[in-house]
Amino acid sequence: MLVTKPVAELCALLVDELHGELPSRIFAILVSKGRSTVLQLSQYTSMTPRQVRHGLAVLQQHNLLYYHVDPGSELASYEANPENAYNLIRTGKILEMIDTSFGAAAKDVMQNLLLSGQTRILDLVAAYREKIEHAAKTANGAEDDDGIAAETNGINGDSHNTKKGALVIKSTAQLNTVICRLVEAELIDVVHARTFHTSDDILKSVEKEAMAKQTAQGAKGGKGKLELQENIAEGLRKVRAESKSLKRKLEQNGSAAKRRRLFSGLESTNGVHEEETDPILDPRQVIRINYEKCLVDLRNRRLVQYATDMLSETTAYVYGVLLKLLTKDVPRCRADPIMDVGEDQDDDNDKNPGFVTTDQILDNLKTSVDLSLGVGKAEKHQISFSAAEEVQLYPPKKKALIEEVEVVGEASADEEEDSESEGEPDYDSDYKDSAATNGTHDENGINGMNGIKGTNGGTNGTKVTFDESAARKERKMDRPTQLRQHLLILAESTQGFVRHCGRNEWTVDFVPIINSLREVELDSVIERTCGRQGLRLVRILRAKGKLDEKALPNVALMRKPELQQKMLEMQTAGFVAVQEVPRDVKADVKKSFFLWFCDVDRSLSQMLDTSYRTMVHCLQVLEALRHKERDVLETTKRSDVRGREKDTMRKSYYERYSRFLECERKLFAQVMRVDDLVSVLRDF
Amino acid sequence: MANPAKLQILKDALYEEIRQHGSATRLFAQSDILDLNIIPNNDLELLMNVVQGLTDDKLLIGTTNHHAGLSWRWRSREEAKKYTSLPNDDAVMVYAIIDEAGADGIWNRTIKNRLNMHEAVVKSTIKFLEAKGYIASMKNVEHPNKKMYIKATLRPSDRATGGPWFTEGELDTAFIAELEGIVFEYIKTKSAYRGSQPTGTAGPTKTPKRGAVTAGETTTLARGTKRSATEMSNDDAAPAVGTTRTTPSTTTTTSTKTRAIFLPMPAGYKHYPTVAEMAKFIHETGITNNTTLGEADIQQLVDVLTYDGLIEPVRVGRRRGYRVARATKQDTVPFHKRQKEREAGVGLNLSLVPGAEPLSNGLTEAPCGRCPVFELCEEGGPVSPSNCVYFLQWLDLEDVPQALAPNVGFPP
Repeated sequence: MLVTKPVAELCALLVDELHGELPSRIFAILVSKGRSTVLQLSQYTSMTPRQVRHGLAVLQQHNLLYYHVDPGSELASYEANPENAYNLIRTGKILEMIDTSFGAAAKDVMQNLLLSGQTRILDLVAAYREKIEHAAKTANGAEDDDGIAAETNGINGDSHNTKKGALVIKSTAQLNTVICRLVEAELIDVVHARTFHTSDDILKSVEKEAMAKQTAQGAKGGKGKLELQENIAEGLRKVRAESKSLKRKLEQNGSAAKRRRLFSGLESTNGVHEEETDPILDPRQVIRINYEKCLVDLRNRRLVQYATDMLSETTAYVYGVLLKLLTKDVPRCRADPIMDVGEDQDDDNDKNPGFVTTDQILDNLKTSVDLSLGVGKAEKHQISFSAAEEVQLYPPKKKALIEEVEVVGEASADEEEDSESEGEPDYDSDYKDSAATNGTHDENGINGMNGIKGTNGGTNGTKVTFDESAARKERKMDRPTQLRQHLLILAESTQGFVRHCGRNEWTVDFVPIINSLREVELDSVIERTCGRQGLRLVRILRAKGKLDEKALPNVALMRKPELQQKMLEMQTAGFVAVQEVPRDVKADVKKSFFLWFCDVDRSLSQMLDTSYRTMVHCLQVLEALRHKERDVLETTKRSDVRGREKDTMRKSYYERYSRFLECERKLFAQVMRVDDLVSVLRDF
Repeated sequence: MANPAKLQILKDALYEEIRQHGSATRLFAQSDILDLNIIPNNDLELLMNVVQGLTDDKLLIGTTNHHAGLSWRWRSREEAKKYTSLPNDDAVMVYAIIDEAGADGIWNRTIKNRLNMHEAVVKSTIKFLEAKGYIASMKNVEHPNKKMYIKATLRPSDRATGGPWFTEGELDTAFIAELEGIVFEYIKTKSAYRGSQPTGTAGPTKTPKRGAVTAGETTTLARGTKRSATEMSNDDAAPAVGTTRTTPSTTTTTSTKTRAIFLPMPAGYKHYPTVAEMAKFIHETGITNNTTLGEADIQQLVDVLTYDGLIEPVRVGRRRGYRVARATKQDTVPFHKRQKEREAGVGLNLSLVPGAEPLSNGLTEAPCGRCPVFELCEEGGPVSPSNCVYFLQWLDLEDVPQALAPNVGFPP
């Protein structure tokens, strides 16, 4: 992560927002000054070392800090961890995601973890036990203001949620189960000594070890270097694997999914049954949230959102299930360039997510979902099965920015070949074609695809008419067929949501789909700022490369002066750029060519920067609002007012207060929306 | 030496024979003319006299060609008469040069330079020729400021007029926009399935769904024939009444409201409209009453729609069709109908352009994403987040006087 000025500012603001001013100031100094010792810090901040240590402790607790102790030296130097500081922004999002996919109990645990930073399991259990006992005592009672959850979490803004309802975690055993599940999902991992080392430090030490080993063996030359690289990657992977130790231990006892299956599919939140089966976790283990894995899940959510925007809700739901199955074992969104270099050989799983079969998806669909929604109906003879069922074994080589704009009836050579080899002689013979394939594939594969004669697809020859009875038959289209329809739509989409990588096997090529998502985000910004015509021009340039100013109006069907104005507007905004190519040595401006082009990568990085600054601005506006309403906010901090704002405050004050809260919510929501964009641009 | 009468006969015979052997653009070399067997004994001197005579009469035009050497083209008698009727050589020369330029026309400055005449002479000659109705002034889209002339009998070429998208040298954006709307509407109705979906259910939940398909819609789909614009507009006028049926399993509740929605077609759908079909449709409706639009023109239009992100190309088998992008987000009321509504003052808040509402993200919604002074904005600067008027407006905090926040409209 490149720490630019707006990022540094943003991180400091976020730390301030969640952990207070002292850590924030230290954090800001650390970001700007780099690695520093306590003494240096106290100098920079003009605070006493005691104060600095307090701040550092808070930062350390929340994993916002790296430290480094040189061998032989007594002083530790500290460094900021901007990744985790930025991740603070995603707190609410992660909690919401956990809530929907793991239930309220898991969310509660996660929230406590987020609020208290890395925690020993022992402490977490103790806190919960106290809470449970407290709740038991005041069972009839007024309120349960527990120590941990009461701290208002600004980002997600629904902290009272946990207070109002009954306790979500009812026993320590349940807590244990929840943690086990989260660990297995890799959403929680273990803190170890090297967690607090910067990746550079780890790399250096691993490199040193590998070098030492290497020279002992005495290998040199190209092969030796390659081996060294592999050794380093191996070493780094080992370090990375350390944090997964807990998960491995759990897996040795058989995974939770397996255990759960023994209970014939009981709901997992139903902790009573699982008490005995879940191993008790080592109470001394320190756990924290694994943001990398959270990001994988957030990416899935974003992709589902994308599919909703482009296709339909039902199809997007199917896509979500597919993604969830596919990414179960994907530990992070992007492969590390050093660590994953030699990994292809030993296990392919890490880089390539593998595939999911239709049956797997079917098993995981909610029964309440009506799959007949979201797909149009077409008669059998209107569908080309060979085209729909086309299997693409390999990921696309290069994603064109816009699908090649082709002239009708002029198929390029390779395409011609493709369709020939598919053996699709004519459209009219499709019906026969599909009837023939019917026999060879499993019964529900292709059979019902047509949508009309789903259940009795084998009996061909009868004239298909779109009347009432036919429609009723269509209703009976069986579920696997409906599912297949959705999957095929996803596979056929121009965005390339899904690749049909084998009969009934589906996979997702994340790099191209995320690239297309990035482009869509860029396009929507362009369209919103420069209008549809601006978007048109940019996309023309993307498709055609550099284009002469004179050629542009013809392609875009726009008037020259309007076009020029639009181009200038977009140049100012940084979406396009112009290159002047003189025709001869004299470089006469009148005779020069002016070539417009657009650099997508540059636009994207510029957009990322704008996003950071927008977030900073939002938080600064909030700060200004707080300053303006400080008298009101101060009253709400009084212990006699707190929690009873509505009754104790004067009406005008309360109105101002509630309006402020509304603004705060709005601004935080906005920051999170912008973060969605940042995730797409940077992390996915 | 042959007598003039015989020469005249030979001239007429040769001219008629030449006319039989090709169009006005064909070049006849000397050997070609001799092979016509008009000139007796291949008498070269006679040939020279005859051809000279025809050339003097402006019935033949001599040109030098790199391959064939000296050769001739014929010119019609009416045309030749125009030449011979001209009073002086200046006029003939100017007319000849304009004639040569053909349908592309010629700039008056070029005439002057080419003939090396005085400007006043060229001007007066042109005025004379224009008055006689032999030539006409024209406009070239590539050089809108140049005064161009063309023979009055010719129509300016497509290169000069800019093709069907230009009207009187100006790009006819209104025409293009209108046609884009029609083509988009055509693609939308042809490439997506107009069904209905229960409303009020966020997310995919099992709700008894009414399979509402208008009878007219399905039949036209099944036929796969073109529909006229009037039929298109009727689609909405006849709401989903034809075949309303319920799922056999869920017969209990039919009271859920449904709304019309476009749904994507199943994969492998073979009837996504192609450019050829669109061209045919446009031709058959006769929307473009005096302009003929070829497939290439429609292709241009479709490409623009693709670049706009409204439609996307899709290849099924060997068929290259187009389908509407983001089908489910499309307006089910046809575009031109919306336009009429607008004229009547209904739905003014809806967008004027065809297609779905563009996507938006965090950046476009916040004031910052569209802020004119974003680059300057910084805490401590003259413009800063803490004194930002746009944010106050966005947060509904203060009724900012309009003067303070000049015409920056944010999306709702």
